[in-house]
Amino acid sequence: MHIIEISSEKRFQVEITLAEGTDCKSLKKERYFFDWSEERNYEVYKLQIVGSNNILGLISLERIPVEWRVHIRLLTVSKENKGQQKKYGRIAGNLIAHAAKIAVQDYGELACVSLMPKSQIAHHYISEYKMLPTGMTLSLEGPEILNLINRYSHE
Amino acid sequence: MNKHNKTNPTEDPEFGVDSRYRSEKERKSESIALMEARLKRMKNMSKDDILRAKLMQLKLRMEEFIKEPDYDDRKHFLTFLESYIDAIYSKRNQFASDIDITPVMLSQIINNHREPNDEFIKKIMIHSDKVFANICDFNGMTWYLVYFHEKLRTTMMEQEKWRPKLENHVKLSETLE
Repeated sequence: MHIIEISSEKRFQVEITLAEGTDCKSLKKERYFFDWSEERNYEVYKLQIVGSNNILGLISLERIPVEWRVHIRLLTVSKENKGQQKKYGRIAGNLIAHAAKIAVQDYGELACVSLMPKSQIAHHYISEYKMLPTGMTLSLEGPEILNLINRYSHE
Repeated sequence: MNKHNKTNPTEDPEFGVDSRYRSEKERKSESIALMEARLKRMKNMSKDDILRAKLMQLKLRMEEFIKEPDYDDRKHFLTFLESYIDAIYSKRNQFASDIDITPVMLSQIINNHREPNDEFIKKIMIHSDKVFANICDFNGMTWYLVYFHEKLRTTMMEQEKWRPKLENHVKLSETLE
């Protein structure tokens, strides 16, 4: 798994691990856009460059076994990685691919990842990650979920 | 899509998504609609799609086991091996034939009546290299890593059984200062 520094096009290996209680205290809304303390009862994963403590992205997940589904509750990149001037690319993609891995690991061929973006940005997730719209929900399943995992697994 | 989400539409779409359900009613209606649509799509999944997903699932589970081994009594190597064979073959005898061993030997290994030897694991490595080639990155060494992780774990967990017996056969004749 890697992210790309936009200015140099250099690749950096990243790891995605469970955020601990101490991490949650340092996740300020000014840098990570949401109140992450509200997610303490869910699985929150952080993305970091290997060997660095700097958290570049976060995702909060809910596993829904009866529906063979992993629902993305919150997803964000850190402030400096937002917009046209962002430092690194592929952060959100890696985090969505991580959710996809959890879903496939748990539910195999039935696996599904879902999220509900606002309507203005939904087209981005449909075109970038090949998500399928159903009502207000976008989902990733079948061959597309495997393709996304493969796309973000290559070193 | 989620109309409740009040973020600036001109922003980078990847900076953040608040995708939490606003109410139980919303959760329920979205879940039902999604499940209905998925069930229809699932009917169109080909055998090949299903096989690929099963093998990806196996790969991820094996990698997870290596990363964070489960300390329980289950035979993980054998469970993974069974899943691997049953995902690909309708008859286990065919797999035995493909890796040039007898069905009896395969049965004994799967039923934990015989230890898989080095040659057997090497054959699985070669077999899975061929199988995974068009599916995803899979390092055949993963089979070895699972096997030895489990071996190490079992040996350490069962120290009380083997240690007292072997202690009598180990002495230290040189004095260490």
